[in-house]
Amino acid sequence: MTYQFSASPHVRSSNSTKKIMLNVCLALLPATIAGIVFFGYLAILNVLVSVIFAVGSEIVYRLIMGEKFKDIVKSLDYTSLVTGLIIALIIPANWHLYIPALASIFAIIVTKMLFGGTGQNFVNPAAAGRIFAFISFTTLLNTFPAPTIGAINPTVITGATSLQSFLEHGDSLSTIDLLLGTGVAGCIGETCKVAILIGAIYLAIRKIIKIWLPLLSILFAGLTTYMLNDFNLNIILPAILSGGLIFGAFFMATDYVTNPTTTAGNVIFFIFFGILTSLLRHFTGYETASFVILLMNVLVPLIDKIPFRKPFGYQKPKKEVK
Amino acid sequence: MKLNNLRMGKRYPYGIHVKDQKQFTSEKPIENMPGSPKIYLSMTQHIGAPAIPVVEVGDYVKKGQLVGKESGAISANIYSSVSGTVSAVCDIVNAMGQKQKYVVVDNDFKEDQILFDEMTSFEPNDIIDRIRLAGIVGLGGAGFPTAVKLSPKSQLDCLIINAAECEPYLTCDYRLMLERTEEIYKGIKYTARALNLNKVIVGIEANKPKAIEIFSKYQDLEVVVLKKQYPMGSEKHLIYCTTGRKVPCGKMPFDVGVCVQNVKTMIAIYEAIELNLPLAKTVITVSGGGIKYPKNLRVALGTPFADIIEYCGGVNDDTVKVVAGGPMMGKALTSDIQYTRKTDSGILLLKSKEANGEKPTNCINCGRCADNCPMRLIPATMEASILAEDYLHAEKLGVMNCIECGSCAYNCPAKRPLTQSFNFSKGKIKEYYIKKKAQEEKEKNQQKEEK
Repeated sequence: MTYQFSASPHVRSSNSTKKIMLNVCLALLPATIAGIVFFGYLAILNVLVSVIFAVGSEIVYRLIMGEKFKDIVKSLDYTSLVTGLIIALIIPANWHLYIPALASIFAIIVTKMLFGGTGQNFVNPAAAGRIFAFISFTTLLNTFPAPTIGAINPTVITGATSLQSFLEHGDSLSTIDLLLGTGVAGCIGETCKVAILIGAIYLAIRKIIKIWLPLLSILFAGLTTYMLNDFNLNIILPAILSGGLIFGAFFMATDYVTNPTTTAGNVIFFIFFGILTSLLRHFTGYETASFVILLMNVLVPLIDKIPFRKPFGYQKPKKEVK
Repeated sequence: MKLNNLRMGKRYPYGIHVKDQKQFTSEKPIENMPGSPKIYLSMTQHIGAPAIPVVEVGDYVKKGQLVGKESGAISANIYSSVSGTVSAVCDIVNAMGQKQKYVVVDNDFKEDQILFDEMTSFEPNDIIDRIRLAGIVGLGGAGFPTAVKLSPKSQLDCLIINAAECEPYLTCDYRLMLERTEEIYKGIKYTARALNLNKVIVGIEANKPKAIEIFSKYQDLEVVVLKKQYPMGSEKHLIYCTTGRKVPCGKMPFDVGVCVQNVKTMIAIYEAIELNLPLAKTVITVSGGGIKYPKNLRVALGTPFADIIEYCGGVNDDTVKVVAGGPMMGKALTSDIQYTRKTDSGILLLKSKEANGEKPTNCINCGRCADNCPMRLIPATMEASILAEDYLHAEKLGVMNCIECGSCAYNCPAKRPLTQSFNFSKGKIKEYYIKKKAQEEKEKNQQKEEK
């Protein structure tokens, strides 16, 4: 009788890429549900279109590259599903359904598949897809509907996100409204911070993300805003609770592929993410979270080059005495 | 009662938690397995030069008679574990794919035993000579000749007994600690005498409370309770957790003044000195979901694995893997045509569900390998440079410090064969330096000739 031959170790833990990605999808569910509650069937349509086009474009790409349909279905690891879902959650609910579709196709084909599929993309596909959509359809995506429930502040519903009106006019909703997303104009999944936090806590319990890293970037974003605004304490909470900072920190910056390998590298990555988001928000008056994610992604190879750690028992080589 | 020789080990934060699966055999006493009709004694059961066969086909050998003589400073004697006629001295390719010289003995079941002479003096030199004569090697798995390990260049100050047994499934050390405590204690005393030191530390993992209790009764041993964590039984980590000393990269334990020995080796030393027996038997654990009756067995060296598996009731359906040794660092076998060696500590038969051997997918850079690496390396980056065939860059990243414990590959969600590629690149790097050295010498010779 012959047996399987392989190198050690011969037992392996049960975690796999598929399981991790499914858990991320589960963690995104609260935010998706909140989005559907706030923005109605339009949100469902956006999510569906985005997910179908994301997964579909991966399958079509791999079919073109000559893989068999059966093999593709077997080896689908739900990363496109996550990308599609995130893209739907970071655009405003709108009638132009070709926008999420195009963003998904761009994210999957250009940023992921062309570089070699899962694990090979150098920037976060969802962030790239969102930026692609926002640059291509600037006027269409500039109207952010506000949810129909909750205290609607008349100055906010005009079109810009609550973040933008906050950055431009200094208006802001109450902290509770910002947390729950009631009356906050914005993207489908970004408005309800409580839902995002529930998902993040789930990921932390499942040991998929280290929750203190995104919290670190939020803290540094708050501190930077505080210092930029003449040390005004009241401005910290509205600043970090508005816009895409929280969603970006928990679900986009934590993307394994595009952040540094070591924990020490991640600390630098997340601190810079927080600081840069606040800085650019302050000086451009525009939501910059996804741009900063893209920028930091490109810096990752550089961060990974820093020798953070020495092997166990490392000794400094002694200098030769001349 | 609070015992003053018991203390907790230093914490070491990096490592993994593996399901320990010891419940299969941890409560089963060690059984003596009856002899097999044919035994196959490999001449390479240790690190170093292979032993040279000193018997010929047709010779009658007694139990405990020398069949393979050590060749060189780092080598070990091989003794027959049964009495009978030598039926072959030949090369056999075993199930690990290694071609080795074997002495095959047909067992006549007469159990004709010959013993060494009674020892008269117990000076360190005499003890070391007896250990060398008995062919004792490190039975923890590496198989480094113990006599060499006990003759360090400088005076040591501490002997550490490795009783961590951090590999899942294996329980042979644990059973020996419970059943043969006195013998282990005597072996420790002889070893300490050979090294001319008094301080002995026994490192036991916290999941073996009975063993800890038994050993803490000996007031002259210092028992250190280690956190249950893999790889606690790795020499470097054991030394760190018990004494707080760090073995520098590329150095050996004796550089920090310690010597690490396995419990099984202690029993072999006791038997060689007090019972005048050579090393011809070993205790192994036969376990895993694939075996009908998991057991702890005392087997004669050279017993075919097939006989051991049959003695344990045979294989269940759906057994996909046979492993010699522990599941984390053991070697997979292509078939059951393999023969017990000194360094074997277990035979595992794994079902497909236990083995979890899925095909590798792309690395997703999750960093779990880097978080867990007990040697503080970055496996993902090292593997990337090895895949790019840039072995020297991998060396710069520290691949030569890798202890191949398998912590990275165990937790990898993409199921990358990380340990395998590090092992491979180590070979490549060594090859490169040998070639470079040869090249330099050649150039030197040429320059001399030109002059």
